[in-house]
Amino acid sequence: MKNIVIIGGGVAGMEAARQLLALGYTPIIVEKANALGGHVASWYRLFPDMTPASEIISRLKKEIAPANVFTGTKVISISREKGDYSLTLDNGVSILAGAVLFATGFKVFDASKKEEYGYGVYDRVITNRDLEAWLSGGEDKRISAPKAIGFVHCVGSRDLKAGNSQCSKVCCTTAIKQAIEMKEKFPKAEIYCFYMDLRLFGKKYEDFYINAQRDFGVHFIRGRVSEVGETIDGRLQVKAEDTLSGKPLKVQVDNLVLMSGMVCNQSVSELVRQARLDIDDDGFLRSRNNIFDILESNRPGIFYAGACTGTKTVPETLAEARAAALEIHNYLQNG
Amino acid sequence: MIDRIPSGFNPFVIPFLVGMGFVFAYCIYALVKILLQLSFEDRKKFFLSLVNPKTAAKNIRDMFCDCLFHVKLWKRNPLLGYMHSSIAFGWFMLIVLGHIEVILFVPTRINLFYYPIFFNFFVAEADQTMKGSLLFFMMDFFLLVVLSGIALAMVKRVRSRLFGMRRTARPSLVNTIGLYALWAIFPLRLLAETFTAHISGGSFLTGPANWIFRQFLGNDLHYLPTWWAYSIVLGIFMCVLPFSRYMHIPAEMLLIPMRNAGLKIRNARKGLTRVQVFTCPNCGVCIDACPMSVSKENIKDCTVYLTRQIRRGNEKRIAEISDKCLLCGKCEALCQVGVQGPEIRIQQRAIRDYSIRQDFSDIAVNEVRKSHVVYFSGCMSQLVPSVGRSVESVLKKAGVEVEWMDRDGGLCCGRPMLTAGKTEEARSLVAKNTEMILSSGADTLVVSCPICYRMFVENYALPGVRVVHYSVYFDELVKAGRLHLTKSDLCYVYHDPCELGRGCGIYDEPRRLVGQSAAIAESDRCRKESICCGGSLGSLSLTFRQREKITRAALENLYASKADAIATACPLCKATLSRFSDRPVRDIAEIIDLQSR
Amino acid sequence: MADFGFKLSKSSTLDLDRTDTRVYDILCKTDPDIRTCMACGSCSASCTAAPFCGMSMRKVILALQRGQDVRPMLGKCMLCGKCTMVCPRGINTRHLILSICKYYD
Repeated sequence: MKNIVIIGGGVAGMEAARQLLALGYTPIIVEKANALGGHVASWYRLFPDMTPASEIISRLKKEIAPANVFTGTKVISISREKGDYSLTLDNGVSILAGAVLFATGFKVFDASKKEEYGYGVYDRVITNRDLEAWLSGGEDKRISAPKAIGFVHCVGSRDLKAGNSQCSKVCCTTAIKQAIEMKEKFPKAEIYCFYMDLRLFGKKYEDFYINAQRDFGVHFIRGRVSEVGETIDGRLQVKAEDTLSGKPLKVQVDNLVLMSGMVCNQSVSELVRQARLDIDDDGFLRSRNNIFDILESNRPGIFYAGACTGTKTVPETLAEARAAALEIHNYLQNG
Repeated sequence: MIDRIPSGFNPFVIPFLVGMGFVFAYCIYALVKILLQLSFEDRKKFFLSLVNPKTAAKNIRDMFCDCLFHVKLWKRNPLLGYMHSSIAFGWFMLIVLGHIEVILFVPTRINLFYYPIFFNFFVAEADQTMKGSLLFFMMDFFLLVVLSGIALAMVKRVRSRLFGMRRTARPSLVNTIGLYALWAIFPLRLLAETFTAHISGGSFLTGPANWIFRQFLGNDLHYLPTWWAYSIVLGIFMCVLPFSRYMHIPAEMLLIPMRNAGLKIRNARKGLTRVQVFTCPNCGVCIDACPMSVSKENIKDCTVYLTRQIRRGNEKRIAEISDKCLLCGKCEALCQVGVQGPEIRIQQRAIRDYSIRQDFSDIAVNEVRKSHVVYFSGCMSQLVPSVGRSVESVLKKAGVEVEWMDRDGGLCCGRPMLTAGKTEEARSLVAKNTEMILSSGADTLVVSCPICYRMFVENYALPGVRVVHYSVYFDELVKAGRLHLTKSDLCYVYHDPCELGRGCGIYDEPRRLVGQSAAIAESDRCRKESICCGGSLGSLSLTFRQREKITRAALENLYASKADAIATACPLCKATLSRFSDRPVRDIAEIIDLQSR
Repeated sequence: MADFGFKLSKSSTLDLDRTDTRVYDILCKTDPDIRTCMACGSCSASCTAAPFCGMSMRKVILALQRGQDVRPMLGKCMLCGKCTMVCPRGINTRHLILSICKYYD
């Protein structure tokens, strides 16, 4: 039986592996980090049902136990060989694979690139990722009994200047989720969400929004934050335009959470070049077709799943991974 | 040496005389017109400078160095320098030696000013003298020098890269005619002098050539047509000169004294602007210099095309070219003749009509708290908060008490207004800021933004206040032992901000500061050749996408130094470069803050 | 005139069928990016002139689309360029301001 290599051991890679195992294959997962789970593993809870992320990860890990997993390993070369792909890993292993699945995911936007928001300049400016780590039980000296917290949507998303003009899809809902979580922890804190458009498109997301408004009293301010300053007592002064009242607005907060968006994963660009895969204008991998062939690349035998082709939510990623497993199965059966 | 033709005239000199007469008349007319266009003060300043022995000496020196020897070109590229100076100096010497010949041998003809040019036609060798042979030798020698220059010019047409130029300006029709006429002048002169060398005498070039030609040309019928041809191409060259780039030859002789007199560009088309437009030799050095030329679409927006369009009076293109420019000043810094591309462009912007105008006279300004040292961070610094914070922290470490006058926002310094051509509005902002700064009673104004700094230096009158860029101020603090720097393991490459480097001549202090707090590397194009980051407020019309290409080109230049990080001293440069940079971009203030006690 | 019991005053409804958008139409040609504004308000929030005259580039663009007066807002613009720096859509707002100042009558 031909080998199947899955590049990336995040939820996309793991779910695809799970399905391939069910179809009778033994896939090989190559994950560059030292543990499986990808970005989701560093998350605390997932919207809209506040499902603990660790539950998903541990379930997936258990179910893909029979697969071959290389963690802390990178694919350093890929080349086509008579209808198959020859891959070399940085631990010296080489694999001849009948099909390759790119589940290489995304990168979180580096919020310090938007210096006007003060990440890396002011102590109390944190990112969505920092907050999840803290919620998961991590230590963070920057957060201590805040009286007011601001959430800045679209940091590094929908922003030509940040090199990413696309919407990251998950940040609006994540901001609402984190706002609710903070409100649960600090009921007296005022919470301000600065948004351009609220994009709450998925199942139960709107309920989530209503929840935040009605039950938690989160303030939603329609205006993109332009500058952040620091007061003498170390609080943060946030400036935006309240576009609905048409007035410049400023507010002092103790923590400002930047909703860093999803950007393309540049670390696979060398591999992408070797495999001669097409790249889209947004830097993500280009599917053969954005409706019917989302999971197919421009090269036979190379498939995509998850956020490597664009921003996705966790359920979307899982669904794609399942579908990709089936596509690979069909390809190997008919090819 | 005797006069061969008793009348001292032959009709073939007519084309030359016509051309010469035309050029003289045109130049006198242009000179008078330009002098009249100057303001009274400028005219007075100009004439006074001519009689000032110091400036007069400088004028003469500059004319020799710039017009004849092209010293700046030699420094840029020796081959290019040789090409230009061989033609200019060689031709100059041919004219001078021609006059000496006339004075020595046929002094009665000195009033005929075609005589020195066509000397060899009108004289016959009587008996050889030592003087004659030396002069003949020198004439042939300088003719050879000019011819070598012309040969190089022909090579340059096809292979400009050999001369250190990637791109050259596309010649217009009239320039092409002038060019071919110029190329033809000296070979024809060689031929003409060769054919008559057995009569008038010749040297190592014309003598043997004459002997060779006479081996197969039986008679002397061909020599008169050759002298005609020589005179005709001279005539053509002179006639197209005022309309072609060759106008730079007479114009530069006016520009040099005007520059040395300290005149400034004050009008979109007249006076000094006109002289500079005429002086542009269309060499195209500004094309390679221009950061915008990374995109082919922008090549026609370089200064060489601006001067061309101003001469043509093509208003639409003048406006487009003027608005696109970043005003980074690199073309001016590298220009061989001193055309001030940015200033000319600002003047074009200043003649626009706006139906909505700004006025700041009625706005209430904040009182600035009394302090000896006042810090002005500028508008852009609010988008790059690390700069202001670091400056404040460093000053605190050095024990300098400072009042940050625009911590929570203030007024713009006025430079963006000024460079957009809105002079009146800029003046109004200057007045307000002046009021505020003076009210603080400060004796030192520390400025972190180079754009503001240049404005304060050039356009503000702040009696008793020393305006200083923080890099210079920090450097002084280090020297005075009030600030102690330790070296980090990082290696920085310093990016010269246009307004600080080319604009204000501050290159060394920032480097010294970085060098004392880390290792420092240099990029290929640095100091006055540094590439604009692309964020400049100078450009009005460049789009974000076009700017992105410039930024990436600037970054490539910096990456080539293999440094770990980029240092700069301008908030706008920092914000622009860090957008696309693959390595950290830090302001000098941040580096100093990290590395100081 | 019959008394209907209410005063006839100018309607405050924006009637898009009767809106004078001539300046906006010119701007769409000179500065086509103006169409991409998503009204995020970054320009207004970072504006150096806003405290003095209520300048808001977002409002100016909207007012032009709706045929309303923009003069008072532009009277204190310092062309400092911050709005252009922060615009997430990469609109050259600074050039836009100059164009408006030129074409507005």
